[in-house]
Amino acid sequence: MAFLEVNNIKKSFGRTEVLTDISFSLEKGEVLAIIGSSGSGKTTLLRCINFLEAPQKGIISVGGEVLFDGDDPSKKKEKEIRKNRLHFGMVFQQFNLFPQYTVFENLILAPQLMAKEQIKANGEYMGAKTYKEAQEKIKAEADRLLKKVGLTEKKDSYPCDLSGGQQQRVAIARALALNPDVLCFDEPTSALDPELTGEVLNVIKGLKSTDSTMIVVTHEIGFARDVADKIIFMDNGVIEEEGTPQEVIENPKSRRTREFLSRFNQFGD
Amino acid sequence: MEQFWNVTLQLLEGFTQNCALFGVTLLAALPLGLIISFGSMSRFIPLKAVCRTFVWIIRGTPLLLQLFVVYYIPPMMTNGSFRFGDRMSAAMIAFIINYAAYFSEIYRGGIESIPKGQYEAGYVLGMTKSQIFFKVVLLQVIKRIIPPMSNEIITLVKDTSLARIILVEEILKFADDFRVQGLIWPVFYTGVFFLLFCGALTLLFRFIERKLDYYKG
Repeated sequence: MAFLEVNNIKKSFGRTEVLTDISFSLEKGEVLAIIGSSGSGKTTLLRCINFLEAPQKGIISVGGEVLFDGDDPSKKKEKEIRKNRLHFGMVFQQFNLFPQYTVFENLILAPQLMAKEQIKANGEYMGAKTYKEAQEKIKAEADRLLKKVGLTEKKDSYPCDLSGGQQQRVAIARALALNPDVLCFDEPTSALDPELTGEVLNVIKGLKSTDSTMIVVTHEIGFARDVADKIIFMDNGVIEEEGTPQEVIENPKSRRTREFLSRFNQFGD
Repeated sequence: MEQFWNVTLQLLEGFTQNCALFGVTLLAALPLGLIISFGSMSRFIPLKAVCRTFVWIIRGTPLLLQLFVVYYIPPMMTNGSFRFGDRMSAAMIAFIINYAAYFSEIYRGGIESIPKGQYEAGYVLGMTKSQIFFKVVLLQVIKRIIPPMSNEIITLVKDTSLARIILVEEILKFADDFRVQGLIWPVFYTGVFFLLFCGALTLLFRFIERKLDYYKG
């Protein structure tokens, strides 16, 4: 069984079916890129995996543990969803940093709340027995992550004082602070000026070497080719084609994939 | 000159009633308004309908009328066995209800203006609904609603004089007593009290706005 298993996901909004029977799997440390035109269901799929949308049908499991089952109401309880969400991290297209907190505070807010809660309930958070001890760990981890995304000197800045690329790098560090099993990116560079996409893509590339399992929804075909171990091309709510970058991008079998890619090639990407 | 001081002291005594009415209304209506705003945003339709109807009725009728209703209806309904202990309590109840309705709409506007992405970012970071509200959303809401809130609060200062309609001994009531005795200028002089109070409030709001100016968005 693969590390992440997504089976037969079905999602519709009212009468509009957005995802029709989506299944894929991913091994630990692998990077999956999901490409496809707007409205093909890529973002909805990612939101289903993060439980921001509830699919009508399907099963999602990580490391053999079933986190979501469309037929099992007990998996849809808010408390259960909240716990299971922690297996996944999410980086949004619009960054969604908390504007009233500094970069550093953005990173430590959620882990601190989590530590308080877990120490109260289980007497422990990531090996720390007291809140004070946990806080030191959390702060050290935040410092390490800021260094990793190259923003140590922006630690005390507010999001409004950062460029879009810097904000997105903070968002990546913030998602990593809770140490998720799978990190998801929803078009992480689509809201950025072209000259700022490089710094964000480089950070994501850097994460690959530290064997994070990642799912990236992207329009950057070149990036997908360079970084992904596996590519899914989605069209109209189904997986039209799936395989290695060589298979999907260099030698696409499906006509729809070829049409989609040719539009990118026209612009020399 | 002695008359001037005499009048000033009398008016000041009246004005303490306005201040008390203002303070109590603010203290009670600010949290009550928040609760009503949650009700009018609720996905539970009956609760939402009740809250929105309440807001419609309160905003749709004059505060003066509401003062009469709160003061006269309870004794009429109970054959005189229940009435508010004093006129001031009745005025406070009417003001609290009225201002809570207005505040609730300001809160609702503020809360609904926060982008959905802020909530989603909180959710994917494993935060609970209440953690997201208190740690992420609330301060952003406060920053956004300060201008409309200050408007409403300044209006409240002046509205307190309406309480004289049920004979609360507030500043305009005192001034009017002077007028009846043939002394007209104290009526106009009351404006100074309101101006000074509102001026101080304006400075306070400007200070808070500046305090929250450290971030944008």
